[in-house]
Amino acid sequence: MSNNKNEKVLEIKDVHAKIGNKEILKGLSLDLEPGKVHAIMGPNGAGKSTLSKTIVGHYDVEMSGGDIIYKGKSIKDWEPEERALEGIFLSFQHPVEIPGVNNAYFLRTAVNAKRKHEGKEELNAAEFLREMKKYLELLGMKSDMISRSLNEGFSGGEKKRNEILQMMMLEPDVIILDEIDSGLDIDALRAVSEGINRMKDGKRSFLVITHYSRILDYIEPDYIHVLKDGKVIKTAGPELVAQLEEHGYDAIEE
Amino acid sequence: MTLTINNLKKKSKDEIAQMLGLTDDLPPSKEAALERLAELGIPTKKSEEYRYFDVESLLDKSYEVHLHVPKEPKIGEKIVIENGVIIEVPKGMRVYYDQCDALDLTHYDPIYYLSHLLAPHVIKIDLDGDAEVELVHRYTHSGALLPYRIVLFNQENRHATVYETFETEEISESLILYGYDMHIAKDSTLRLIKTQSMDENRYAMISSNRIKVNDHANAIIKTFDLGGDHALQLLKVDLGTYSHIDAGHLLYLNHQAKRGTVSKINHIGEHSTSQQEAKNILDGNARGIFDALIKVEHSAKWTKAHQNSKAILLHEDAYMAAKPQLEIYIDELEASHGATTGQLDRKQIFYLQSRGISYVEARKMLVIAFANTLIETVKDTRHQERIQKAFEKAFYAGHKELKR
Amino acid sequence: MAQEEIDKAVSGEYTLGFEIDVETDVVPPGLNDDVIRFISKKKEEPEWMTELRLKAYHKWLKMEEPHWAHLHYDPIDYNSISYYAAPKTGGPESLDEVDPKILAAYEKLGISLEEQKQLAGVKVAVDAVVDSVSVKTTYQEELQKHGVIFCSISEAIRDYPELIQKYMFSVVPMTDNFFAALNSAVFTDGTFVYIPKGVRCPMELSTYFRINALNTGQFERTLIVADEGSYVSYNEGCSAPMRDENQLHAAVVELVAMKDAEIKYSTIQNWYPGDENGKGGIYNFVTKRGLCKGDNSKISWTQVETGSAITWKYPSCILKGDNSVGEFYSVAVTTLAQQADTGTKMIHLGKNTSSTIISKGISAMKGQNTYRGLVKVGANADGARNYSECDSLLIGDQCGAHTFPYLESKDTKGQIEHEATTSKISDEQLFYLRQRCINEEDAVSMIVHGFCKEVFSQLPMEYAVEAKALLELTLEGSVG
Repeated sequence: MSNNKNEKVLEIKDVHAKIGNKEILKGLSLDLEPGKVHAIMGPNGAGKSTLSKTIVGHYDVEMSGGDIIYKGKSIKDWEPEERALEGIFLSFQHPVEIPGVNNAYFLRTAVNAKRKHEGKEELNAAEFLREMKKYLELLGMKSDMISRSLNEGFSGGEKKRNEILQMMMLEPDVIILDEIDSGLDIDALRAVSEGINRMKDGKRSFLVITHYSRILDYIEPDYIHVLKDGKVIKTAGPELVAQLEEHGYDAIEE
Repeated sequence: MTLTINNLKKKSKDEIAQMLGLTDDLPPSKEAALERLAELGIPTKKSEEYRYFDVESLLDKSYEVHLHVPKEPKIGEKIVIENGVIIEVPKGMRVYYDQCDALDLTHYDPIYYLSHLLAPHVIKIDLDGDAEVELVHRYTHSGALLPYRIVLFNQENRHATVYETFETEEISESLILYGYDMHIAKDSTLRLIKTQSMDENRYAMISSNRIKVNDHANAIIKTFDLGGDHALQLLKVDLGTYSHIDAGHLLYLNHQAKRGTVSKINHIGEHSTSQQEAKNILDGNARGIFDALIKVEHSAKWTKAHQNSKAILLHEDAYMAAKPQLEIYIDELEASHGATTGQLDRKQIFYLQSRGISYVEARKMLVIAFANTLIETVKDTRHQERIQKAFEKAFYAGHKELKR
Repeated sequence: MAQEEIDKAVSGEYTLGFEIDVETDVVPPGLNDDVIRFISKKKEEPEWMTELRLKAYHKWLKMEEPHWAHLHYDPIDYNSISYYAAPKTGGPESLDEVDPKILAAYEKLGISLEEQKQLAGVKVAVDAVVDSVSVKTTYQEELQKHGVIFCSISEAIRDYPELIQKYMFSVVPMTDNFFAALNSAVFTDGTFVYIPKGVRCPMELSTYFRINALNTGQFERTLIVADEGSYVSYNEGCSAPMRDENQLHAAVVELVAMKDAEIKYSTIQNWYPGDENGKGGIYNFVTKRGLCKGDNSKISWTQVETGSAITWKYPSCILKGDNSVGEFYSVAVTTLAQQADTGTKMIHLGKNTSSTIISKGISAMKGQNTYRGLVKVGANADGARNYSECDSLLIGDQCGAHTFPYLESKDTKGQIEHEATTSKISDEQLFYLRQRCINEEDAVSMIVHGFCKEVFSQLPMEYAVEAKALLELTLEGSVG
């Protein structure tokens, strides 16, 4: 993929989406450029999490209008795993615990599913473990992460690091980080952002969803989009962060 | 008339009617009760509900059936029912005899039907408004079979409380068959706090109850069964939509007691919730029973059901039979149960003793601490203290005899 | 490693439902003294065994079929069942004499009766039973070097009468229950194992049961005796062809563990379950009981129950020796219209005895799954401990999961703990896995395996793989 300025990897076009009977996204449009970091900011209830759920095809969300174009194809009717296999990754705000499912076994299944989809050789157990250990070390995670059950009994920080571990090993093209900084202490935040920054390769796009600007000190955004009442009301460069810090969301005019 | 209940075993409907001296033209509810009794049969030690309760020896005895003759009750502070007869009623309260018109035809307990058949009428209590009433049962006859039933109604949107206690004279060898048909109205709360201290060899009791919790209603049933003798309370609870039951059962038994709870809570309506907790402390030769089923019907989506039993055995001859059960027919629910049986922690007792507290007092402290989580759910401090006193009395009665 | 099996499993049908096309000797349906004499004669049994069978039969006639379990099925007509069926070729002397069709059938089941064909490095001795007859026992010679007896029960009655007379009926008395009494009268084959003092059995022992003939019951009887300080791990597997009629399987298993001995007994039960309307399938009424006779002995039951229309089965431990240990690990799956009422009994009699119960019930489609267990602590069982955990997983809203534990304690120095939970596969868990590139079906099986993990980890390696594949096969199509 060339780094053409007008190229878009993900186009969200006038999307309307409901959760239950409540319309949350009310004609939201947003384009992601390859290799860029897009930050979505906005007050509580603006629809930030719904946006991420809509992109990955979450069962809670019903799209009632608009379209989502990913690499030139409409993905709005795709199954969640199809979107994932094509390279869309969501780091969950609250990763679910799955008792008894071994963390390494799970991740190897996921990685091999993606490799198979891309026509690559699947990794055997030894190859996979070598890779996994490399990333564990990088993220400052204990090696017992290999044998523990998926997210079960993990601390907040461990869960978020585990999300980043999965992201690094799945090598996605579009990465959505939903409140990745919530519940993290400073060390964990540093480790997590280091992992994210390492993933920047000039091609991958990032959608960083955050309520606070803290994470943006670590991951420099290219664009800031302000979300309010189910719509993007302003798009600007990183200079907007300081403005938001000072005046809050109410000061933003459409 | 004298009666040995076991003689009704394996008899047909007509034979039972004849043996109970029931006339031909029975009201429809009694006709139906007769049919169900014949169908279920007299309980034996093989009946699942009576598995741990020595029912056969009780039903094998011959009793004088005590016919209660209604008399004009006096006005007082409480409802007092002596030998099945209303003798005292608070001013303005509606407590009266009536025919039972609404029988539960799906009750699992044959004694529910037998007590309805034997009782010539039911005692109806209409709880007006946010009533708070004390109900005292008193027994004065030896060798008697005393069957009586209470039908309890409350009003919609109201919160009523009944404190129930039992008194007895120096009687022996009686059998009481009694119980409630409770109809808890929509959007209301009914609290029943029962305390039953029993001495050894006074009377035995089988109390068979039906509790219908209508939509959006709350039932709070707390039972405190203390002391000796034989008594079994059988509950059948039907839960409507968004209704809730909070049931707590404290057992503190000594001597040769065989007592406990058999319950079936049926979740029928959506979003119904149940919470049941049993704490059992068993001393002497006592046997505690907690045989509780939570059934979630196919209709009862989004149900929550939690059940827990904890037992402490204080004496090497004490015995606990716990049977917490779940029967579930849907997947949209949250259900769990747990049961433990253990004993007091020696280290804890030793710690208290090392601070100068006697062995008996140390045990009492730990046992009361265990029981307190249930006693504290009785919000009214006066009644809380009353229960605590009854509890202590039962504790010392057990410990005097054991000479520890 | 497991992928091949898993792929095979995804076909979604009862793949073991073929029929072996060999001629069989079958007695006409019905039961009377003559049929019992006939069975006994066919087995070339000594007179004392014939007498014991007749005694059991006469007692059985006076007994009633139990109906306390949470099971609903049409009455069984005991006179329409044939109580003896045997492949006509009879008992073979060597593998060459085994009917090639039976050999082929076992290959199809994934079980090799040719010793050299066993998995590299893992030796498993197999006793293969078709209908009423043991057709082949492998590795007998090698086992004999260690003094281990591993043969069909019919051979044992002929060759080791003292052991049989001493131990048969010693754990499950002849009239223990209705189905055990029936088995005592008509049992046709099964396996006998004796491990001598101080011997650690050098390989896994395994019996494979197959009901083949039409309208027959299978009534096998297994007896395992582990003498002082010995160890054995024994596995049984079962399958049956697809038939519209219900077939009765009423087996008895007796285990005896002497001082310091350990028996590990694993079952993978995959009898034909019938169809989704409850038509056909095996009625599985089985009595399994182990006696921890000596001090420090241990008996461990592990079962993976996926088949049968009706399952009525409570592998139990009588913990008589001081410090003896009983374990029960179970995965029971009911899907289609299957009904299972299964669990265990742990009877604590000796001092400091301990027991562990881990039961995982999975219900899907119209399946009804009941855990029924008894933990009984006797007055002399000072310091007895039990821990029970019974979890249910529901898939769909037409199925049922029921937990009926009976906890009876008479001991003041022990501890009993029971916990149970009921859950479903949450949408959240499924979505999480799908967002990580894993398709829905794999996601469900991953969650189900996670749920069963504690039990699978108790199985020997090859059987754990088989159990996993079987689970996937069973739940195929029940999620959606």
